Amino acid sequence: MNVHAMNTQSQSPDDGIRAGDLLMDVRNVSLRFGGVNAITDISFNVRKGEIRAIIGPNGAGKTSMLNVINGFYTPQEGTIMFRGKERRGMKPHHAVRQGIARTFQNVALFKGMSTLDNIMTGRSVFMKRNLLWQMLWHGPALTEEIEHREKVEEIIDFLEIQHIRSTLVGKLPYGLQKRVELGRALAMEPSLLLLDEPMAGMNLEEKEDMSRFILDVNRQRGTTIALIEHDMGVVMDLSDRVVVLDYGKKIADGVPDAVKSNPQVIDAYLGVEH
Amino acid sequence: MLYRTAGQFKTSYHADHALFPVRQDAWLLGVILVCAFVVIPAVASEFAINALLIPVLIYALAALGLNILTGYAGQLSLGTGAFMGVGAYACYKIITIFPDLNLVVAIALSGFFSAAVGVAFGLPSLRIKGFYLAIATLAAQFFLVWLFEKWSWLYNYNASGAIQVANVDMFGITVAGPNAAPVTQYYFVLGVVAVVTWFAINITRGRIGRVWKSVRDMDIAAELVGIDLMKAKLSAFAVSSYIVGIAGALFVFLWRGAAEPNLFDIPLSFRVLFIAIIGGLGSIMGNYLGAILIVALPVMLGTLPGAFGLTIASATVEHLNVMIIGALIIFFLIVEPHGLARLWAIIREKLIMWPFPH
Ligand SMILES: Nc1ncnc2c1ncn2[C@@H]1O[C@H](COP(=O)(O)OP(=O)(O)O)[C@@H](O)[C@H]1O
Ligand SMILES: [Mg+2]
Repeated sequence: MNVHAMNTQSQSPDDGIRAGDLLMDVRNVSLRFGGVNAITDISFNVRKGEIRAIIGPNGAGKTSMLNVINGFYTPQEGTIMFRGKERRGMKPHHAVRQGIARTFQNVALFKGMSTLDNIMTGRSVFMKRNLLWQMLWHGPALTEEIEHREKVEEIIDFLEIQHIRSTLVGKLPYGLQKRVELGRALAMEPSLLLLDEPMAGMNLEEKEDMSRFILDVNRQRGTTIALIEHDMGVVMDLSDRVVVLDYGKKIADGVPDAVKSNPQVIDAYLGVEH
Repeated sequence: MLYRTAGQFKTSYHADHALFPVRQDAWLLGVILVCAFVVIPAVASEFAINALLIPVLIYALAALGLNILTGYAGQLSLGTGAFMGVGAYACYKIITIFPDLNLVVAIALSGFFSAAVGVAFGLPSLRIKGFYLAIATLAAQFFLVWLFEKWSWLYNYNASGAIQVANVDMFGITVAGPNAAPVTQYYFVLGVVAVVTWFAINITRGRIGRVWKSVRDMDIAAELVGIDLMKAKLSAFAVSSYIVGIAGALFVFLWRGAAEPNLFDIPLSFRVLFIAIIGGLGSIMGNYLGAILIVALPVMLGTLPGAFGLTIASATVEHLNVMIIGALIIFFLIVEPHGLARLWAIIREKLIMWPFPH
């Protein structure tokens, strides 16, 4: 399983790209669904170590953009450079192996599994013991299981979800489900973490918790984050740079303060409730 | 107090990964194993062994195989009967070609044939789901039974078109065929079933089990955590069909003694599916509970009224059986999709609390 070994290495943070260097470069990407132009000629980049926000009204194409980045959709035009290499025709599970993990706008957890098992699935790409070892359980498979369990327990402690470790996630309140989903993404040890509205539907306290987790992930683990968020206050607090989409087009890109005072952005948000 | 968990603390992940974090579960299993290996064979009549014990074990194994595919990996199959047939015919041919081969080895090998066939018919699962996949497996069911009939090499060109198990010895003891003692056959089946169950428990609680369950619960999200859907689904088909194939070989060699192609037809597929549903999808133990119920019910309906001095025509017994099973299926599908296994889990939780609720 050389592929695995290679990928695990490439996921280590020390791959020659230093903080502030380009991690991902989206160039002239367009995505259409039949007659709908979800994304039109969008270019922007993500620098290593930053928190990059993608904002815009509903239907602006934000989720579609994340889906293009992690290989779920293939754009009709444009290229995506990740770590200096062009990616094309990539399946989502390859994106994970390259170090891109994500959460979903509508929680996409494995409902019939516990919190612990959900986060453990995030470790699947790192686990290599084959069926025969798994059948025996004792020995290498158990050693591997415990090794990864320890990593997962670190994440559980970090996200303060010890008390729901063995609860079926289908039974958890929405806010906690979002947290478990973040945990599953963190278990993949991504170098680029994509978060699609991580705070949607949360109350103020939950939002504050989630903001703190996102900042801690960014600072302590050095994980680069691209996040979609509607709450402008949160966006201004968290992000280093913001890209604004409207009707599938990019209308602004820059530091939060500059974007906030951009007249086009103000127009796009006028009359739109969030 | 039977299920007192207080004072049982886990001091390491190692201990937490033990099969039975709660000690009473281990004791319960110990009691069941002692009964299965020592008590039952000592007290059970030949009738009980042949009519109850052996079929319960074999059906439970077949349902376990199906459960891996449907309960764990979420891929519905209506072709279980035919996959059992593949195992049975493969075993028959292996024994014909290598008459001196150890029967355990022959059965273990025959599983690879059903696994291969299972993977081939599992290929559509990469494109279609749910109802449509069920129809595709139904096509496999029809095709394979047709093949069992038409491909006379499979049954050594017998005029009857049936396969007949001759006496098979292992270490000087007859384990299969007309001369085999029921107790011997019981031990043989019990051994195979126990080992396969142990393997299945291990697979389903580790990485591969989680991968299967993630595909079952949300395949898109599974793909986006890096799981290769093709590998996940086909491995479920392979492991499932392997176990189902072994169950098929046991079915013919250790129980029926002979088989015609139509033995593996749709009723068998449904029987195994019902056991898995009533026992509980996504459970290992449930397969045993379901098999006990499905196998014992007609036997009980046939003997109980007699014990009370009542006489019921055998046709009526048959109808009663079908009605009760139908009602149970509807009950479990609507009220408790996790079947008898979940009912046991609820009882167990109550016992842990008892006698101090809260
Ligand atoms: N799978 C799809 N098929 C057809 N149209 C889609 C699909 N996904 C998104 N769209 C369309 O693309 C546009 C952008 O959607 P989306 O990316 O979800 O917006 P946002 O996340 O910014 O709210 C919308 O008009 C939406 O209807
Ligand atoms: Mg969206």
